[in-house]
Amino acid sequence: MGLFFKKSRSGSSQKESRLSVSRKYDLKPGRSYIVQESPPHMSFDAFVNIVSTNPVAGGAGKTVGLAVTRQHPEIVREKYGLEETPVYWLATRAGDKVISPTNLGILAHMLVKFAEDTSDGIILLDGIEYLVSNNDFTKVLRMVDQVNDHITQSGCRLILPVDPRAFDPKELALLMRNMDKLA
Amino acid sequence: MKILVVDDSGAFRRVLTELLVRAGFHDVIEAGDFKEAISAFKESRPKFTFVDMILPDKSGVDLTKEILAMSPDAVVIAMSSIINKRMIQQSLEAGAKDFLLKPTNEIALSSVITMWSE
Repeated sequence: MGLFFKKSRSGSSQKESRLSVSRKYDLKPGRSYIVQESPPHMSFDAFVNIVSTNPVAGGAGKTVGLAVTRQHPEIVREKYGLEETPVYWLATRAGDKVISPTNLGILAHMLVKFAEDTSDGIILLDGIEYLVSNNDFTKVLRMVDQVNDHITQSGCRLILPVDPRAFDPKELALLMRNMDKLA
Repeated sequence: MKILVVDDSGAFRRVLTELLVRAGFHDVIEAGDFKEAISAFKESRPKFTFVDMILPDKSGVDLTKEILAMSPDAVVIAMSSIINKRMIQQSLEAGAKDFLLKPTNEIALSSVITMWSE
């Protein structure tokens, strides 16, 4: 699959089946959630739970997901049983489904496109500390804000795990200002 | 409400017990393997049993079957640190009501208990 999404690829072909049993996290469409944790256990649990269960309110279809992570996609797939969901690796390696941490524009474009094209979706953006270590904080914040703006106008949710030890209080406050806190 | 936590990792049992206490469930019993779990279950008859799918002696699926044979109204929640579809399927077929990914958290735990308490 290429780096950019076509509307048809955001549909049923990316839906996961039977990885969880019941929906345990009630994340609202159009909202972004910050999770202060390291490692990102709750973030992945919520993401996997939502892509593999029907909505709490009894909606018909499953939620489509997109994960961007610092962990190797094969490890993520194996641990969380993800088969259909696209998993992109933040790394300085060439390859399919690999995004360089310095390519913030491409990353933002991909996430925005997914949000625009998906009526019921969820994005997991894991590895913000790695993005900050490869760019300056302001650039990363601008990218997160840009994605967040599009999330607000879409049927998608964003989960952003953040290791609070990696940021000073002011940076953390700036990251959190337009987001809900999970946990 | 009595809750039994079955996991061979003492550290995980302590974390889960702490999460349960924080969520308002103070009557928590722990067991480290199949035998201990059966004995604790017989003695306490907990409403909920959280069972790690991989135990040192018999499997979590065996324990689920045994518990439900003793008490068909008991609620068994399977747990594992990886999502293995076949294992989840086996747990559900054995009668487990739900599945939790380890390490779990207050939100997922409370949600499961609320859902299956009703």
